[in-house]
Amino acid sequence: MGVLDYLRGFRVTFDKLFEERVTTEYPEEKSPKPDRLHGRHVLNRYEDGMEKCIGCELCAGVCPAKCIYVRGQDNPLDEPVSPGERFGYIYEINYLRCIHCDLCVEACPTQAITETKLFEFSFTNRSDAIYTKDELLVGDDGLPQNLPWEDWRPGEDVATSAWMRATSPAGDADYVGTVGWSGELGYGVRAPEVGQFGEDPEPPAAEVDPVDEGGHH
Amino acid sequence: MTDTADTAEGIAITVNGQAVEARTGELLIDACERNGVYIPRFCYHPRMTPVGMCRMCLVEVDTGRGAALQPSCMLTCAPDMVVETESDLTKKAQDGVLEFLLINHPLDCPICDKGGECPLQDQTMAYGPGESRFVEEKRHYEKPIPINDNVYLDRERCILCDRCTRFAKEVAGDPLIHFQGRGNGTEVNTFPDEPFASYFSGNTVQICPVGALTAKPYRFKARPWDLEEVESTATIDSVGSRIVIQSSRNKVLRYLGVDSDAVNWGWLGDRERFSFEALNSELRLTEPLIASGEGHRVTTWSAALGAAADAIAKTPASRVAAIGGARLTNEAQYVWAKLLKDVIGTDHVDAQLGDGLPADLVLGLPRATIADACRPGGTIVLCGPDPKESLGALYLRLRHAVIEDGATLIELTPRSTGLSALAAHTLHPRPGELGALARALVAGTTDDVAGVSGAAIGAAHQAIAAGGPVTVLLGRASAAESAAVVAEAAAALSNIDDVGFLSTLTRGNVHGALDMGLAPGLLPGRQRLGAGIPRGWTSVPSETGLDSTGILTAAVAGEVDALILLGADPLRDFPDRHLAEQAFDAVDTVVAVDTLPTDSVAAADIVLAAAATTEVAGTFTNLEGRLSALAQKVTPPGTARPDWIIAAELALALGGDLAIQSLDDVWTELAAMSPVHAAIDPAAAAERDGVLVTGTIDYTPVEQGELPAKDAYALRLVSVRAMYDQGSSLAASPSSAGLHREPVLALHAADFEKLGVSAGDEVSVTSARGGVTLAVQSDPGVPRGSAVMVSHLGGPDPYDLIDTTTLVTEVLVERA
Amino acid sequence: MAEGYITHAPGYVLNDGPKIVTSRFVHDDSFTLTRSRATGGYQGLEACLAKSPAEVHDEVREAVLLGRGGAGFPAGTKWGFCPEGVWPRYLVVNGDESEPGTYKDRLLMELDPHQLIEGCLIACYALGLSQCFLYVRGEMALAQERIATALNDAYDAGLVGKNILGTDFSVDVVLHWGAGAYIVGEETALIESLEGNRGMPRLKPPFFPAAIGLYGKPTIVNNVETLSNVPWIISNGAEAYKRHGSESSPGTRMFAVSGHVKRPGVYEVEHGVTTFRDLIYGDNHCQGIRDGHQLKMFIPGGGSAPWFFEEHLDLPLEARPVGAAGSMLGSGAIVIMDDSTDAVQACLRVVRFFARESCGKCTPCREGTTWEEQILRRIYDGHGRPGDIDMLLDVADNISPGPYPVAADESQGLEAVPFPPKQTTICPLGPSSVAPIVSAIRRFRPEFEARIPVRTTIPVSAGQR
Repeated sequence: MGVLDYLRGFRVTFDKLFEERVTTEYPEEKSPKPDRLHGRHVLNRYEDGMEKCIGCELCAGVCPAKCIYVRGQDNPLDEPVSPGERFGYIYEINYLRCIHCDLCVEACPTQAITETKLFEFSFTNRSDAIYTKDELLVGDDGLPQNLPWEDWRPGEDVATSAWMRATSPAGDADYVGTVGWSGELGYGVRAPEVGQFGEDPEPPAAEVDPVDEGGHH
Repeated sequence: MTDTADTAEGIAITVNGQAVEARTGELLIDACERNGVYIPRFCYHPRMTPVGMCRMCLVEVDTGRGAALQPSCMLTCAPDMVVETESDLTKKAQDGVLEFLLINHPLDCPICDKGGECPLQDQTMAYGPGESRFVEEKRHYEKPIPINDNVYLDRERCILCDRCTRFAKEVAGDPLIHFQGRGNGTEVNTFPDEPFASYFSGNTVQICPVGALTAKPYRFKARPWDLEEVESTATIDSVGSRIVIQSSRNKVLRYLGVDSDAVNWGWLGDRERFSFEALNSELRLTEPLIASGEGHRVTTWSAALGAAADAIAKTPASRVAAIGGARLTNEAQYVWAKLLKDVIGTDHVDAQLGDGLPADLVLGLPRATIADACRPGGTIVLCGPDPKESLGALYLRLRHAVIEDGATLIELTPRSTGLSALAAHTLHPRPGELGALARALVAGTTDDVAGVSGAAIGAAHQAIAAGGPVTVLLGRASAAESAAVVAEAAAALSNIDDVGFLSTLTRGNVHGALDMGLAPGLLPGRQRLGAGIPRGWTSVPSETGLDSTGILTAAVAGEVDALILLGADPLRDFPDRHLAEQAFDAVDTVVAVDTLPTDSVAAADIVLAAAATTEVAGTFTNLEGRLSALAQKVTPPGTARPDWIIAAELALALGGDLAIQSLDDVWTELAAMSPVHAAIDPAAAAERDGVLVTGTIDYTPVEQGELPAKDAYALRLVSVRAMYDQGSSLAASPSSAGLHREPVLALHAADFEKLGVSAGDEVSVTSARGGVTLAVQSDPGVPRGSAVMVSHLGGPDPYDLIDTTTLVTEVLVERA
Repeated sequence: MAEGYITHAPGYVLNDGPKIVTSRFVHDDSFTLTRSRATGGYQGLEACLAKSPAEVHDEVREAVLLGRGGAGFPAGTKWGFCPEGVWPRYLVVNGDESEPGTYKDRLLMELDPHQLIEGCLIACYALGLSQCFLYVRGEMALAQERIATALNDAYDAGLVGKNILGTDFSVDVVLHWGAGAYIVGEETALIESLEGNRGMPRLKPPFFPAAIGLYGKPTIVNNVETLSNVPWIISNGAEAYKRHGSESSPGTRMFAVSGHVKRPGVYEVEHGVTTFRDLIYGDNHCQGIRDGHQLKMFIPGGGSAPWFFEEHLDLPLEARPVGAAGSMLGSGAIVIMDDSTDAVQACLRVVRFFARESCGKCTPCREGTTWEEQILRRIYDGHGRPGDIDMLLDVADNISPGPYPVAADESQGLEAVPFPPKQTTICPLGPSSVAPIVSAIRRFRPEFEARIPVRTTIPVSAGQR
């Protein structure tokens, strides 16, 4: 075995010296997150500030990790919390159990629960891991609350309330490519996803302002 | 449910090409279901008359004249019927009906309480068209409107199946909700300014096939998929209705009625249905307490049990007494009976509070079941409390028997009852003279007796003498009338041929308590004291003890030092409250085992927090003597313990050992020592209809004694109970707490003039015991010479007037 | 006032021909007891009391008196359905005439109440019953008043009540006012209403009124006109009765003709002999369509009957041929529509009636009739959608499954479907709402299609937004 053989052994190493690096200096440096990343949940509001959650417990029912606890209550007539008879009185997600599968988002009939792209949150005690309704609800600006132990980066809190499924909520293929969800808080509207059959979506309407185009596809 | 026996002759029909045997007179929908072919339905309910309203059960039937769609809920099976439940025609009809039903149904399933357990949802999934072609605006009504204190009606969701309205009219007899409007605008509603005031309104919520009717206590509390359930028995009254207990997160959220053919037919009274609220009450006793200064302080179980044991140990057995036990399970009653009668050695034990009947009267007479009482063509003699006010589920059975099955009802009650409108003969004797009336009734006297005309007695006698089975509903209609009066009447009525007695003692598991020996002179298993020491026991008391009245009287005389209360509240529930108060003052130590802070608990020296129903497993014995299972669904609050464990621990603290480690041990002992329980298979008791405990004891009638002549100026007091009052359990149930009436003194209008009062006047009512002031009201259901008051209403109470040492309590009524 | 009309009997047209039930209408005091007795009133009752009940029953059976309420069932046969030996039993007179287009019973009750009472008494005698209920529609105030007066007079004259005409035959006749509901014209709903309940039909079986009717007892329910024929039959005999009309449909029959004819009104014509053409175009009758217009369609038997057209004019006024041709004679209400009529609007108008009058009991009728109305309204308003016509027919099919009775259409090579329709409901009200839809769409489909705009989007009215 000669010297060349020895150097040949380093060939891959030398080759890679001149290629673009794929590793990053996490956490100082972060790569963009995919559009469909399932992060920390938020509970959305309507434009008038009413909560979207009606306390129907479908999210809790569908949750495979049984990490959601919801209880409804009669909506007070004089000061309604959400439209309709019932509102989510208790809403808790235990992030020690949550597997971020997004089934709760699929199950929600009012699009009250959606997910941000925040996944970097850690806790120093167990009770912090159980997010209550107060912590999950978005503020009046439609943006998630930034809790002390959460490390929010730009863009992680947008496109939360108008996250689209590939098909319409009814699952009717006729509506593929149609924006079915409103961006009523003026925040987070974007073009519809490519449908399940792979056709190109219709171009987004002029007034819809696509945001967050930088994700992987 | 079509009334068919298993043995009925079969009819050969063809269902979906399969030969199937139907019973004579059976409805097609039942025959198909019994043979495994489910036909979807909304309006059909097996316990109510079919109406053929929803058209969901349309099936293709060929009776020889060509196939046509027919409602299977109204079609009686006929020979050679050819039925297609899955043909294209049937399928199209089902699609069509579901599409029609859904065009005006709001589909607010996510917020609807029924979502997840909704027949409309389920059947739409199974038989529906999948998509609606309806694009117009749906019908709109004001969202839920309260139709009474506990039930909300959402007319948008209503599919007009006629179940609630039929229930109200047919079953409950309160036709206060009905259809209004026409065509598409048809709606169910109450009449203007007249709420659906029914004791049974909760059943409409249970049978509603959509979420149109919801009950306030359960509204939005949980969704069906997070409920866990177990079948059990309701313990709030002695009927022992079968229920399903549903809980979520260790909290009981709902009771549903279960169709037990022998007992409640699936119905529940609202008081039973919503009684779980008391178990979840903030008021519940969760820790043992010990008297400290004016009140109590929380202590440890060892300290509380030690204190109780010390107090009992230093007292001679003859000076220890126990009252109560009807709240307990049979098993706990047995363990307490063994503790009291074997380890402690006292026979001063009584599960009743002076408002019931002597134990040997209940256990000594030939007993009848509810089914016996409700036999078609039978005769029912009501000689006890108003079933409508006290035993709701029994009332519904009796009502059905009289209306649908032609039973004859004879009332021997001190005032009219909820069944009076259905009674063939209504006889209201003067208080204290029930025995005389019963003798006259059996003998067929034509003279006036006890204030009842001879003609009326004669007519009622004819009904009894006509033959056929007679069932006497025996209980204590009025707490102001001594039990001896009822015993006298029972002795007379027992001379009727083919007579059976159905006890209508009302309090929870009181019949289990009698069976388990929680009565003076009795041992578990319907055995008398004095027949030797039962197997597994070491000793029995040497002398027959005192009943509640005797215990309290002895206490006042300084002959009782330690009083144990097993879920009893003598200060509120003993008819002579003055006697109870004096007794409490005189007793050294009061130990209360209870679930809620009653007046007596407040006065107790040591309080032992007990687990309530739904928190303990065991069995329950209803008024027929039917043993049925009680299930544990949730855990007790705090450190509250099951009653039987408290007894076992107390025995240990007293230096004895009951040798009972589990409920199975109880049954092993019972099987060995109780002749009436030996034959019972605990597995059979776990069945829905339970198992009857049979066997009677020897009973010698006792004469009631001389009734003092009626004071011409006085009225005789009648003290009755109402469905809703301020009893401790109801007061702790928010849904029922506010439903009680205002206390009034009810008199016959003819007595008004004599007394110089008019309706609405405040009057003072005075007896030898005390006096109260309340408004007077005219009531045609009260006989002349009687004054009726309802106890436990929270205001002026007849229990402040009653003298339990006399046969009747006479009162003077004057304008205040 | 046009020729033939009578001032005191508005709506009645006195035509030539035999008069059996309207013979007294020419008198302006025809409703009084005096006039009735002076013109042979209660002679039938007297004749009947001389016979045995069985003889009276046989006489009516012999006369083949067809029911005039709609179904056309022979009254004599119906009377024979009462189970033997079950007492009490009741006679109920169905005076809840409310079929759109019908107003013959109203005239009989207003103008000759004694004839009706006499008919009731004879029926009671034949059936051996002693209690009769006269159920009169709520809106017919004059009829109620005249019957009440007539009953009082008849009681005073000893014609009703205890020991009628000195015999031991006693009958009480009770006048009951309805509260105004079309469905109560259905006999089981009428019985419910009479019992004090909400007027909703009962399912037959098991509730055939003749076996289980009013208060669960055997009950005969007869139409006003049917019973009004009975006195004449008893006075003159079944043979004389059968000399009028056709063999299968003897006697005369009243027809209420309305719509675009020159002389609308109630006519008493020979049953089964007269044709629609005679009635509509005959000089003795309606005298033809109004000037300048042609017949477009006509309803032969009230709102619930499928429509007829030009080619059906030569059918006789008789139940069986009309039924075979795909419609029904029903209660004798003939509505004539000329070429100025919009088929869609006519259809909508009739369907709207049924949607309003559905009692709300059966789901298909309660929800389906309103839905039909909404679809028709949408089409009529120009907001129809391409599939609406077929959807309407399918919704109709869910109320009345299978081929619906309809007239033949030779131009399309379609055959007639004979009466009656099948139903998913208890009573025929729901299926009745289908009649105009199927008739109109089969014949005038282009008119419906023309109203449906070709669009790509779904228009939504302001009220639905």
